[in-house]
Amino acid sequence: MNVYFLIAYRNILQRRVRSLMLAAAIVAVSVIFSLLLALLQGVQDTMVGNGTALMTGHVNIAGFYKISQSSANPQVTKYPPLLEYAKEKIPEAAVIVDRVKAYGKVISEVDSTMIPMWGVNMDQEANVLGRLELEASAESNSPGDLKKLGESGTIALFAVHAKKLKVGVGDMVTVSVPTYRNMNNTKDVKVVAILKDVGMMSQFNAYLNANDVRALYQSKPDSTGQIMIYLKKLADVPAVEARIRKDLSDKGYVLMDKDANPFWMKFDRVAGESWTGQKLDITTWEDETSFLKWVVSLLSVLTFILTIVLSIIIVMGLINALWMSVKERTTEIGTLRAIGMQKSKVLWMFMLESLILSISSTAAGLILVGIMSQALNAAAIPIESDAFKMFLMTNNLSFHFGVAPALTTFFSLVTFFTLGSLIPAFQAAKLSPIVAINQS
Amino acid sequence: MQPIHLENVKKNYQLDKVQVSALKGINLTIEAGEFTVIAGPSGSGKTTILNLIGCVDTASEGKVVVGGKETGGLTEKQLTDLRLHTIGFIFQSFNLIPVLNVFDNVEFPLLLQNKLSPQDRRDRVAKFIDRVGLTQYAHHRPSELSGGQRQRVAIARALVTKPQIVLADEPTANLDSVTGQTIIDLMKEINAAENTTFLFSTHDHSIMNQARRIVRLQDGRIQDKA
Ligand SMILES: Nc1ncnc2c1ncn2[C@@H]1O[C@H](COP(=O)(O)OP(=O)(O)O)[C@@H](O)[C@H]1O
Ligand SMILES: [Mg+2]
Repeated sequence: MNVYFLIAYRNILQRRVRSLMLAAAIVAVSVIFSLLLALLQGVQDTMVGNGTALMTGHVNIAGFYKISQSSANPQVTKYPPLLEYAKEKIPEAAVIVDRVKAYGKVISEVDSTMIPMWGVNMDQEANVLGRLELEASAESNSPGDLKKLGESGTIALFAVHAKKLKVGVGDMVTVSVPTYRNMNNTKDVKVVAILKDVGMMSQFNAYLNANDVRALYQSKPDSTGQIMIYLKKLADVPAVEARIRKDLSDKGYVLMDKDANPFWMKFDRVAGESWTGQKLDITTWEDETSFLKWVVSLLSVLTFILTIVLSIIIVMGLINALWMSVKERTTEIGTLRAIGMQKSKVLWMFMLESLILSISSTAAGLILVGIMSQALNAAAIPIESDAFKMFLMTNNLSFHFGVAPALTTFFSLVTFFTLGSLIPAFQAAKLSPIVAINQS
Repeated sequence: MQPIHLENVKKNYQLDKVQVSALKGINLTIEAGEFTVIAGPSGSGKTTILNLIGCVDTASEGKVVVGGKETGGLTEKQLTDLRLHTIGFIFQSFNLIPVLNVFDNVEFPLLLQNKLSPQDRRDRVAKFIDRVGLTQYAHHRPSELSGGQRQRVAIARALVTKPQIVLADEPTANLDSVTGQTIIDLMKEINAAENTTFLFSTHDHSIMNQARRIVRLQDGRIQDKA
């Protein structure tokens, strides 16, 4: 074994209590940091998963149709050739669906609520809407069946709305939508499924039969809200988006300029523009869920602040421990310098001590987190606070601990601790060999 | 070539506003294979001289030549290399590395030098541990040894690189007189057998009288050469 390594290692063992305390502290930071990263990733993945199931594909062919200068309908008219194009020319796609957009009031016997809604075609939705969990409500023991949305006169509501409207599976509600002629069209529909809430986004979604929505708006059968394209790999999004833009404008479609916002933030702008007719808007899941970014940003900021504060405390502990070690070993270091050890080697010897401690403790922490996140996910810890449910977009805490957060934790902590240990290590290297000789 | 040559060497220390002249013009030449004692009362400058010869400090004035190199012009790095390759140190308090066993302690300078193959290195270490009579303690830590045994380890460590010069500042000061005597005997024996140059300091009269050459130091000056 390398003698510097041996000396460093033996000195760590020699100062057992101090080393153990330091190691425990480093394990703790690496556990906290990587658990937070895993939670962050979990929230992000849940958000992407839920967000995309609820309201956006990875890439969407959407757009607005303007009957008059001041109108703005989130519609794609004459969509079948576009759907055909998507199915044929995007080999990266895993699933393609189209949904009709609606916004209106859902009225029960006791209450009513305004909800943005989607008209869906259940033939396409098995792996999209079908991913969401159902839940039995207070009003009915049955969670229902999403497939029934394939029939006319049906609606699927999130639990949050079902609760407000006091309806369960089998109950009737009335859907009322304002049309462009400033009239309200209504339709009575039966609740066929109650979806389990997925945080705040549950507030903004409900599902109807696509043809019912067309009928409500008196729009043509060849019109839809958007074609939603789900890719096999998220990494392909930019390339697919760019290709769709190019292909469609080559085919003569008029495209809207890129605007990284969800479609419902574009109404006012589009209504204020003077063009009429159809324009397409190619958007991505990031655009459509951009209003949720602050959640992830806030969580990231909290994670990093907490980790940095903890790391600084621990680096101070590490510096202090090494500094004590330097003090205790003054004669030893002087002796080594006297018998011919270069300063750089002394520096290395002390760096090794902190490297051994931080590498092994961080690694131990990561292994612990790997086990912990499995256990925590298995335990499916429910989030009790509604505010947090909203905030985190999920009902259970889920931890996604992958290679990336593990490596991030490992390298950032080890680098940080190593840099910190440079201070006492330099102090050791500066010691004069005279101290070894001048003592009585 | 003489391993040690000092010419009009002065060393001043600045203590607050007072200047202390520890050495006031030393001329000294030591020939290869000599066994020399620097004798003198406490504060006479013995340690200061050994520091200069040991290349851990530099003179305020004058010329210090060690192993053919004038130390005044060398960088810190070069001085460290000179120590590693020409000098063996024996310290008053033994100064072994506490976390290493006897074998590893003796091997350490060879690892720093990095000149021998692992096998040659192990053979050399074993030979010198045997030379100081500690073969059966090779795997003991310093804390498990007596003072005399520790100083033997230190001697083996100082000699293992076969240095031109072995320096020892009061090597027997922390030992009882009987043990001290055996250490001096061992040093003499190695000096005779290997022709290694030994230079050590002491203020113990019974020990200084055994040396072949005594350099008497008083108040930073050499009194006479006997
Ligand atoms: N680092 C120092 N700073 C100031 N004075 C010193 C220092 N080292 C030695 N001296 C002084 O130099 C003189 C010689 O000291 P030293 O060489 O240690 O003597 P010895 O080893 O013979 O006891 C003494 O007066 C001592 O006080
Ligand atoms: Mg002294």
